[in-house]
Amino acid sequence: MRFSIILRYVGTVMLCISAFMAVSAFISYLDGMDSAFYPLLLSALLTLLLGVFPMLFVRKADAINNKEGFSIVVGSWILASVVGMFPYLIWGGEFNLINAWFESVSGFTTTGATILNDVEALPQGLLFWRSATNWIGGAGVVMFALLILPSLGTNKMALSSMELSSLARDNYRYRAQMIVRILLVVYVGITVATTLLLKLAGMRWFDALNHAMSACATGGFSTKNASIGFYDSALMEIILIVAMLLSSIHFGLIYATFARKSNNIFRSEVVKTYLAVVAVCTVIIAVNIYDAGVYDSFWTSLRSSLFQVVSLISTTGFATADTNLWAPLSIILLMFVSVTGACAGSTSGGLKIDRMLLFVKTLASRIRHQQHPNAILRIRVDGILQENEQIHSAMVFIITYVVLIFLGTFVNALFGLDLITSFSSSVTCIGNVGPGFGEVGSMDNFSSMPAILKLQGSLLMLMGRLEIFGFIQFLFIKWWR
Amino acid sequence: MNGIGKRVTIGFMSIVALLFVSGMISLFELGDLSNDTENILSTSKRNMELAKDMLKSSHEHSRAMLHLAVFGEKEYTDLANRSMSELEGCLAAARSESFNETCLDSLSATVSKIRAMSEKFLGGGTDTETHKESRDSVTFSTADLGIADASVSGKIWYDAGYEPVYTELTEQIKQFMTLTYSSLAPRAAQLNKNAYRSVAPVLLSLLVMIAIVLMFFYFIMVYCVKPVIKMNKSLGGYLSYRLPYEVKTELLDEIKELNDNIESLINISKQNNKQ
Repeated sequence: MRFSIILRYVGTVMLCISAFMAVSAFISYLDGMDSAFYPLLLSALLTLLLGVFPMLFVRKADAINNKEGFSIVVGSWILASVVGMFPYLIWGGEFNLINAWFESVSGFTTTGATILNDVEALPQGLLFWRSATNWIGGAGVVMFALLILPSLGTNKMALSSMELSSLARDNYRYRAQMIVRILLVVYVGITVATTLLLKLAGMRWFDALNHAMSACATGGFSTKNASIGFYDSALMEIILIVAMLLSSIHFGLIYATFARKSNNIFRSEVVKTYLAVVAVCTVIIAVNIYDAGVYDSFWTSLRSSLFQVVSLISTTGFATADTNLWAPLSIILLMFVSVTGACAGSTSGGLKIDRMLLFVKTLASRIRHQQHPNAILRIRVDGILQENEQIHSAMVFIITYVVLIFLGTFVNALFGLDLITSFSSSVTCIGNVGPGFGEVGSMDNFSSMPAILKLQGSLLMLMGRLEIFGFIQFLFIKWWR
Repeated sequence: MNGIGKRVTIGFMSIVALLFVSGMISLFELGDLSNDTENILSTSKRNMELAKDMLKSSHEHSRAMLHLAVFGEKEYTDLANRSMSELEGCLAAARSESFNETCLDSLSATVSKIRAMSEKFLGGGTDTETHKESRDSVTFSTADLGIADASVSGKIWYDAGYEPVYTELTEQIKQFMTLTYSSLAPRAAQLNKNAYRSVAPVLLSLLVMIAIVLMFFYFIMVYCVKPVIKMNKSLGGYLSYRLPYEVKTELLDEIKELNDNIESLINISKQNNKQ
């Protein structure tokens, strides 16, 4: 493995991040050179230098192998989180070292959990930077690298195969170069459309852009303390629901749908399952909270329920209501959707509906096999035959995911958090969701958590974003040889 | 970027630029910090001075009124008028320097009240618009008391009428001093933030610089030092044992040129030997 090559491509990602910092600094400048201007400008310069330096020495590689591609992805994410905290650290305020790290990791992993008690106290440049970290993370730091990597073919495949979950890769029926174009078109398209629609619905341009960036990245950073609840607008909620739903569906399928290809979202078994889960959970929660008297009318219950379910299942984390006040059944269902997550090949986190579907089919197959021991049973997802290796890998992933949630809960409880806060903060961090329940509810934040738990939370976020094994492998020095 | 010289220059220039920028930002933030500190100190000092002057003037006014009311010593009229003017001057100065407005408003009202009382007691004074309203509202005078003996009525006027307002005035002056101090607390907190902001850029720049220096060291070793060592070793092998000279360089710079030249030289040498 060539360390220099890794440094060069991680440097390319740093250049992209530096450009976004410069844009944020420009916004600060437009805002009357607010207090975030110098922190953002200096951070942009520092990141630029870190990015440019390897380029002076290392030549473009003709081809990079899987290990190198893998290390570029993981290294980029970790280094992005490190440089991403520079503006926060220099700006000060509520950001100490741990808080800045947490906020940065939360941004780049599109978790959207915050340590800020007063988001609105932040200057505009810094607010934009927060949303930008969501947006960059949502597209995948690697996608940016792919866009500007001038090399062809092999480089891109090596990187993209690590960036996208293995299940998502099966769905792509396009060449590697096309993947980048699809991601770009879909991602930018949804962001621009959402911004325009939110503006038309009455949001300020700045807020519309920030919320659109956050929604399309399924991040969840808002410019308001009360998140989307601040606006109390059904129209804005509908726009964001559509944006969140689209961003949580396989981008390749969205592209195929708009390009009128046969393998579109209307035919996808995974998407159908995903939408069915959303519909069923929404109705049950709406009935439950209406019955519990949380809202006066059923339609308000339905509206709140739909927004929260889509927000959590897409792992965005926007909020319109304090879900801590909802009935226990609703809370359990919201936790369930936080665990399942949305479709692979999107910007969302969580276990992914694809794996859940595979799990259910494997379970059904196992039961059938018990009844008919000699039967040869095949499992297909979206018409694609699933090999034993893939099924095994998905099952191991699910088990590891659950084990990590429980480990996280254990550590949280060890430091004195109550059960619901301990469990939900683990779920929300590893699933890159954002809000949990209890002390980390939709109207609360992570500021009161001990520093060690913030570090643990950020570790879970990184593990969740890098599909657990990606992160674990990176830590094994032996693997580097 | 091909040449070693350029690379090394850019490398060092990057480090210098980084130092310069972070230094400038720290300087800027330190400048801010210094201004804020100076501002807070001068505000605090001015607040003390004004409060001291106000207390002094009000005390002198009280002394003059005591002599006038109880002992009937008319020569204290000047002192009463002068101290009142000084008190009002202090108030005007405080207002112009943007001290706590709410506090100043109540202080101003009490001063007007005390002025109106003393003017009514002395039976004259300038009937300015500012004090007319206050004077009209003051009903407490010797005539109102209906006491014929001037010294007795004056003493009563001073004890029952003037002194409570004077006490109120001194309390308000003290409050003015305290409240101004309280309003300085958030600015002092900002000062702490500014101090942090002036240190953070330098610390981060140092961290980045360490990373860059390490990278610089690594790249110089990999792309400059190691190839030269390899070339030297391989050339030594060729000269001593006629081992084939095979050194590959990654960059298109002077090291590669040197390597190519050595190879050419060896080829020429081989051809000469054959001839």
